[in-house]
Amino acid sequence: MKCSQVQKRLSAFQDGELKPQEQEGVSDHLESCSACREQYAEMEKIWQALGDLKEVLPEPGFYDQLVKKINERQANLFPVGFQWLFQFFSSPWATSTLLIVGILIGTFLGNILAKSELFPFQQNQAVHSQAAIEVFSLKAFDPIPPDTLADKYMRMASY
Amino acid sequence: MTKKLDSFSSEDLMAKTAEEDEFAFEILVRRHQASVLNLVYRYVGDRTKARDLAQEVFIRVWRAAKRYEPKAKFTTWIYRITANLCLNELKSVKGRKLIQLESEHEDRQNTNFETHPNASQSPEDLLLAEERSRQVSDTLQTLPENQRMALILKRYDNLSYDEIAKIMECSVSAVESLLVRAKRNLQEKLIFFEK
Repeated sequence: MKCSQVQKRLSAFQDGELKPQEQEGVSDHLESCSACREQYAEMEKIWQALGDLKEVLPEPGFYDQLVKKINERQANLFPVGFQWLFQFFSSPWATSTLLIVGILIGTFLGNILAKSELFPFQQNQAVHSQAAIEVFSLKAFDPIPPDTLADKYMRMASY
Repeated sequence: MTKKLDSFSSEDLMAKTAEEDEFAFEILVRRHQASVLNLVYRYVGDRTKARDLAQEVFIRVWRAAKRYEPKAKFTTWIYRITANLCLNELKSVKGRKLIQLESEHEDRQNTNFETHPNASQSPEDLLLAEERSRQVSDTLQTLPENQRMALILKRYDNLSYDEIAKIMECSVSAVESLLVRAKRNLQEKLIFFEK
């Protein structure tokens, strides 16, 4: 392996992430090349220095504080006395059942109102039908009657 | 009950947590609190912020318990939550960093109380070790965010490139590239750091 190839793979070599054959190739090269060996030694020194960063220990009350935070957030989500709502809606079964019941009640009420004579929809429907008949009976595409204002205008425009 | 749950895998404890079993959640927290806390501490370099963020990770674990599907290792999943939280937190605090410098200084002075004590060390050695730890922490903070996260996961948690890629949601080659650049940056910054 050439120095340039080895230097590109030195980091992965250090991390033990190369395939066995490549790992062996880099290792052989390091034995014979002092420049690459020096560079690798420098990398190792830095890696060791990083070990000086101390580990921290969780405080004894870590879990209790955590539980307190969870409870506080849950309490803030719903005002006092309404937490049962959270419990109820957090269940997918309850939410699905509520949705289905809502759709059924909506359909039922809709059908009743549509059939009811008290509901103004049917009257409105009659008015709308009359308006449609009038629009289609305008005879807009019939020939223009002679000696009318429209006939005179069309003649002027054609000159 | 607690003793029986102790032998459960983290994935099984999550399934129990989904059924709102608080004992299972407590064991899960106690099992992973040190690793999560240290990952955050190494990343943010601040003890108080690290504790708050680590607790935030477990709040998310509690909330996500019902949706959790053990597709990957539990540690990979919880580290992914931690990494995302750290990266987001850093973005949100960049603007108010100057205000926090004083409290961070006070915080460092108190770090002794929470680090692993070593009885065989003299007070001078302890001070020196403390100073070295602070220097490493400060140097880590100068690395770009993704490089820092990849380096911490490799150096301190000894994870494979594949696991780091899953946690950071990127490719294995991207992890390799991040580590090459992180190590190069550290070589320039820790050049004075002779043992």
